[in-house]
Amino acid sequence: MADFIQLLMNGLALGSVYALAAIGFVIVYSATGVVNFAAGQFVMLGTFAGVATLVNGGWSLPAGYLGALAAMALFGALFYAVVYLPLRNSPAVTMIIGTVAIGITLQNAALLGFGSWPFRLVSPFEGMTVDIAGAVVPVHAIAVVVTTAVLIGLLWLLFNRTTLGIAMRAVAQDLVAARLMGLKVGALLAFTWILAAVLAGVAGLMLGPMWFADVNMGDPIALKAFAATIIGGFGSLPGAIAGGLFVGLTEVLGAAYVSSAYKDLIAFGAMILFLLLRPQGVFGERIQDRG
Amino acid sequence: MLGCSDLTVAYGDIVALHGVTLQVRAGETVALIGANGAGKTTLLQTISGLNKVRGGHISFDGSPLDSLSCERRVRLGIAHAPEGRRIFPGLTVEENLVLATSPWRPPGGRYGDEIAQVFELFPRLKERRRQLGWSLSGGEQQMLAIGRALMARPRLLLLDEPSLGLAPRLAEEVYERVGRIRRSGLTILVVEQNTVLALAVADRGYVLETGRVVLEGAAAELKRDPRVREAYLGR
Repeated sequence: MADFIQLLMNGLALGSVYALAAIGFVIVYSATGVVNFAAGQFVMLGTFAGVATLVNGGWSLPAGYLGALAAMALFGALFYAVVYLPLRNSPAVTMIIGTVAIGITLQNAALLGFGSWPFRLVSPFEGMTVDIAGAVVPVHAIAVVVTTAVLIGLLWLLFNRTTLGIAMRAVAQDLVAARLMGLKVGALLAFTWILAAVLAGVAGLMLGPMWFADVNMGDPIALKAFAATIIGGFGSLPGAIAGGLFVGLTEVLGAAYVSSAYKDLIAFGAMILFLLLRPQGVFGERIQDRG
Repeated sequence: MLGCSDLTVAYGDIVALHGVTLQVRAGETVALIGANGAGKTTLLQTISGLNKVRGGHISFDGSPLDSLSCERRVRLGIAHAPEGRRIFPGLTVEENLVLATSPWRPPGGRYGDEIAQVFELFPRLKERRRQLGWSLSGGEQQMLAIGRALMARPRLLLLDEPSLGLAPRLAEEVYERVGRIRRSGLTILVVEQNTVLALAVADRGYVLETGRVVLEGAAAELKRDPRVREAYLGR
């Protein structure tokens, strides 16, 4: 039982990171129609932004986190201006290849800048544990789950209670109508990319202490976030959260109870089953078209 | 108030409007009639800034619109209830309406008067204010599209086929409201295939055929014109 609680918390923490990556993926997809194949590298960049400020820069924790997230926001704006804007009227495949190209560029830029030797990003709760029903649970895992829950709550408020968030949803649902209503469509789309980059940054900063900061960490994250969105329902925010937690939990619990070699089989097997049997995912589409 | 002079618009090699010249004076309701594919929707979209102009000019209150974005044109007072209504399907009726105030409303600013007016004109929308856009009937969606355009504090209202896909009784109901909006003094440019309804509400009209204005005149004259009667009124 103690083992199970410990694994459960670690699985939820890892799942939270996947969920945040998947949320960034989903809000970009719903607002811009872009399938962002660089989403995993966004998270990697978040981790290395933390490496740059906290490890190499030696900044204090709050300054390091804020600096890394500010850099991610800037990166999101840059991505909007350099990749999205020039390609926004091109065929979808061109845009996808654009994001793949940026993903590869980011990965190799990180290799060039930081080298292939992994870094250790220290948690603010390094070495701290709590005892839950006999299980030793790292405080970092709890902090990750709580931070993610708070962020999801803030996102819910943004999208349901603020004019900015409702305007972002309007842009996602009908770009032409949004322009005719006089919404600042360009600024709203830019903000969507910035938000996705900052969420990926938070995910990267939280993941750093759980894994090693390795320039190749982006690819597995992208695959897991992608599986999470398929399982949860492509384009659905609750789906991204549920899917992310499912993938994280199966990875950790599968490694412990089934086989560490086949730990990814459960998540990706589930993804394939969903594609075959229920391609709209658990949460499907909330919006329906009237016939 | 609105002037289009020698306007030419093309999609790639296909020319949709060939040198269209048209005026809408303040306080007037103008109908733009014509068959499917005549270029009516293209003209409204061009006035709103969705299409690039290949030749000619559009002016509003005497100043050129040509280089302005959609958003700037809405701020100047051009509101558009588009073809197919284009309600935001995942937003509530009230959210749809409130969003349309963003061009003039400062953050946290009030919109009570505007929404009260829209609910007075379309009481059904008040009943459905918490429902999502996609769940409305066609007639309700059309009312929401018009109400949403009114929330922008327009000086010129562009209506694209408000009767499209509606049962005759509902189409008449929508046009009865358009008549009320007209009597409030708002300037209206309405595009319509239903020539009877459009000419009944309009002061003047233009007939568009394959991207050209082929006839123009007072609505009463157009109704009597043999060419209009034969081609569009079916008698």
